[in-house]
Amino acid sequence: MSYNCIVIVREVWDTRDLTGSVLADNGSIKDSMLTRFEPEDMNALEMALRIKDEHGGKVTAFSVGTPKQVDVLRECLYRGVDEVVRVDAGASSLGTQAAAQLLADAIGKAGQYDLICVGVTVADGESSMLGTHVAGKLGIEQVSYVDAIEEIGEGRVVGKRGIEMGYEYIEAPLPALLSVGVALVEDDPRTPRSAKAMLKLKAKKAEIPSADVDASAVTSPVSIAGREAVPERAVESKDVAAEDETALKSMLDDVLKGE
Amino acid sequence: MSNILVYAEIEDGVVHDVSLQCLAKGREIADASSGKVDCLAVGSGIRAAAEGLGAFGAEAVFVAEDAKLEQYLTSPFKKVVSDFLKTNSYDLILFPATTVGDDLAPAVAEALGVACVLHCDGLAGDALTRLEFDRKVSTTYKAEGCTIASLKDGIAVAGAPDSSRSAQVSDVAVELDAASTKSKVLRRDVAKKTVNLKDAKIIVAGGAGVGTKENFSLIEELADALGAQIGATRAVVDAGWLPADHQIGQTGVTVRPAVYIACGISGAVQHRVGMLDSGKIIAINTDKNAPIFKIAHYKIEGDLKEVLPKLVKLIKA
Repeated sequence: MSYNCIVIVREVWDTRDLTGSVLADNGSIKDSMLTRFEPEDMNALEMALRIKDEHGGKVTAFSVGTPKQVDVLRECLYRGVDEVVRVDAGASSLGTQAAAQLLADAIGKAGQYDLICVGVTVADGESSMLGTHVAGKLGIEQVSYVDAIEEIGEGRVVGKRGIEMGYEYIEAPLPALLSVGVALVEDDPRTPRSAKAMLKLKAKKAEIPSADVDASAVTSPVSIAGREAVPERAVESKDVAAEDETALKSMLDDVLKGE
Repeated sequence: MSNILVYAEIEDGVVHDVSLQCLAKGREIADASSGKVDCLAVGSGIRAAAEGLGAFGAEAVFVAEDAKLEQYLTSPFKKVVSDFLKTNSYDLILFPATTVGDDLAPAVAEALGVACVLHCDGLAGDALTRLEFDRKVSTTYKAEGCTIASLKDGIAVAGAPDSSRSAQVSDVAVELDAASTKSKVLRRDVAKKTVNLKDAKIIVAGGAGVGTKENFSLIEELADALGAQIGATRAVVDAGWLPADHQIGQTGVTVRPAVYIACGISGAVQHRVGMLDSGKIIAINTDKNAPIFKIAHYKIEGDLKEVLPKLVKLIKA
């Protein structure tokens, strides 16, 4: 049996190697910031693509944003997604709940689907459960912090959910939504595939269709009242040579002082 | 005036520490605004623990008990909590930012059509703040009307119980329909808690870089020499080298020891968020570009098999 999978992907600010402030003088996010594919969304994409590899079917990627903000959709095409849909958010940036409403509207219009996968978003230390909001609006079952799909078939999916002190295995009827929260280590067998050169050539100029939804009709119950730069964590970092016993000793004396 | 409801997460008859922190924070806000703080506990076999919430500052405790609620699942818990909130009105509903709280809070917000802000580390009046962009920005959110929030570990200190205080305890009727019982928990692999990482002064933690289960003896020797507890990353737990109660990070515990020695830990964000606030961080790694070095006070680029025995020798000397 084949499955129609939907993946929700986001382009997020890349804060990995950033030094200095994220904020411009007026308190908004600096224009010069680079963006990247939300890493847990990438894991969600990989999960969906593997279902297609194994069982057949189709993968459709959805993303909310202006045409400039949806390079991630092209990235999805480069990795083997069948269709992409851009969901226009209008001029302003939306909160999680409003974005979830638009996504649910767009997904609702896209026809039959079996599974929706989306990342949990921890890359920046914050967390937003976009998936739970989408599932709530669509009225489907959902499982969050999913590390892996254990089984899919007979109208159900079993997700391995990472919880404090272990895992639990949740069976949900299809259609269902999985919020993927994988902590992948390097060389993990679940590591997302990279873009394929052939697909890149094919999809480089592909038109990105947009969903017929009305961003002006959704409102967010939450608004941002302000942003403040958090001073850089002042870590006085010392290099200690592994073979220098005197340096190691003085490090130990220093940290164990008073302990 | 703020009327606050705290969701009391109870596991194995014990109220989750972050729920107690939410209660302490709620108490603080309610006291400042002549409001009240109540608790709602949902589950099976939770009554004794729920009754104890009065001593932690709850005025009324509502208990929704049903054998079908023994294990957490989104839909039935969402149904119970949102049914309760349809007949009981609160300005603010606080959940612990755990894998249960962060799952349930947005689900309930959707069921009720109210605002939701997760992972807050500050709450003052109606302003909710959250660290974002790799902790470089603190964003303040304001919500209209009833607001649901999850609060992170560290939001407040869960005070000692005051036995002179007690709460009025009442039962909540549980009505689960077919629509809310479609999913099920097939199995749970959860470790019993054998270590107390939260109160540890010194933690020696190992990551994937330790290489093998046998190599953990190096970590144990160092921990023994220091009188430290042993921590681990998810990768270590997944590999079966240590049980899950040792796990530090996003789905493990959040720790703030005076000294944190990270051995063979690359420093993925999921781990970092659980140990960033340690007093002094020593990182030992063969990869000089490991992200853990960015937050370490002492950076040792080298092989654990050589460095750890050296440290043990120096401590014992």
